[in-house]
Amino acid sequence: MGGAGMNTDSWSDLLADLLPGLALSLQLTAAMLAMGLPLGLLMAVGLSQKRKYVSVPTLALVEIGRGIPALVLLYMIYFGLPQAGMSLDAFLSAAVGLAISFASYTSEVFRAGLAAVPHGQREAGHALGLPRTVIFLRVLLPQALKIIVPPLLGWAIIYFQATSLAFALAVPELMSRAYVLATTNFQYLNMLALAAGLYAAISIPLSLLSEHMNRRGSRTATS
Amino acid sequence: MNVAMQQSTSPPTAAAESRYAAEAQNVTVEFHGHKAVDNVSLGIAKGEVCAIIGPSGSGKSTLLRTFNHLQEPTSGQILINGRPTVPGSRKPKPADLMQLRRTVGMCFQSFNLFPHLTALENIMLAQTKALGRSKDEARERGRHLLERVGLEAKANARPSQCSGGQQQRIAIARALALDPEIMLFDEPTSALDPELGAEVLAVMRELADSGMTMLVVTHEMNFAEDVAEHLVFMADGVIVEQGDPSSVLRSPQQERTQKFLRAVNGR
Repeated sequence: MGGAGMNTDSWSDLLADLLPGLALSLQLTAAMLAMGLPLGLLMAVGLSQKRKYVSVPTLALVEIGRGIPALVLLYMIYFGLPQAGMSLDAFLSAAVGLAISFASYTSEVFRAGLAAVPHGQREAGHALGLPRTVIFLRVLLPQALKIIVPPLLGWAIIYFQATSLAFALAVPELMSRAYVLATTNFQYLNMLALAAGLYAAISIPLSLLSEHMNRRGSRTATS
Repeated sequence: MNVAMQQSTSPPTAAAESRYAAEAQNVTVEFHGHKAVDNVSLGIAKGEVCAIIGPSGSGKSTLLRTFNHLQEPTSGQILINGRPTVPGSRKPKPADLMQLRRTVGMCFQSFNLFPHLTALENIMLAQTKALGRSKDEARERGRHLLERVGLEAKANARPSQCSGGQQQRIAIARALALDPEIMLFDEPTSALDPELGAEVLAVMRELADSGMTMLVVTHEMNFAEDVAEHLVFMADGVIVEQGDPSSVLRSPQQERTQKFLRAVNGR
């Protein structure tokens, strides 16, 4: 494939060449979410602690995560960490770096969602003698998720697109694959347009879903 | 200032002989230097229904909330069955609080049912997670309690599908599911129209008849007179007057009580 018969390659052949890249991008997104979502929630809990020795360091972490460009984070983990005696492979470095960035941004979404649950809910939980963890997991979080999920989906879409930064660590994800193939068949415009189309094919339906959920959420947000 | 107090006659160590199911001793609650509750002592006998009335900002809800430590007293202490709720140290441990709240149930003005759970699930949650009952046992108990408050048909309804009166009755059932010895009610009918309020009061009346010890902050003067055995009038963070409900309501001794009751009855 590729090389020789480049001008005769059909769109579907080019697309087939890109699909493994898309699969890797989706895997990278999944790995990033698997780490980033719990971390974001954890940061939100840390941010809303009254105890300063918890909330202040968490805030510092969040600000660092948001203040540093994601690409710099990826480089620091992939090229920097080995100097500190810890090396991760390219895929994992990208997933971890993106997860830190994602968590830093979404911690505020989690925090706001949890804060939007009426105070009486927490009080009722306490008045029933429920342990704190049960109040959090069974009373507050389910109610907060209704508020949190639509904006979280929006962030997930942005970070799905941001997986293209893993290109810089030579992870053969969608963007990387499109570029590498283009360097062999010289169809830069076609390859990049196809990659863009694939990113959009995933992103646009999801952002429509997010908007739909948002509208439905605001209509039923009564109790 | 006449702070009618029922002075504790027994030392806190005489737990077994305490004639009070619940007692506040010299409780003060301060918010930013303002004393919402100012050195109040109040005893509620076993099986007694005690109603607290008074104007907004009188500290009656704040006092009520100290009985299950939803509000931490700034000073003074709460005794349940003669035992201090916070043994020794000033800062209560979560385990102590959880234990206390299984003994002292509470209903709120705004019901505070969990909106993402059905009526039955609302009643089951604390049974399984706080008492460690099995799901089957909790469900059985939940159905029985829903029947008791006349809402067995609403077992699988969400709170949003129930009227305010129904929600408050579910909230009462939810609190009763833990088999509390004392029930606190914080203006349970204030968010309800008179008709819906009446069905909640009927459930509370039945509960009182069954011998439950109850502390009720309310604006329902008829309920206070008919059901309560002990009426407390609070204003500006202190107990101004207390005693037999009929005598306090019909021949109040204090000027502040007279003024409040004139305003209530004048409506």
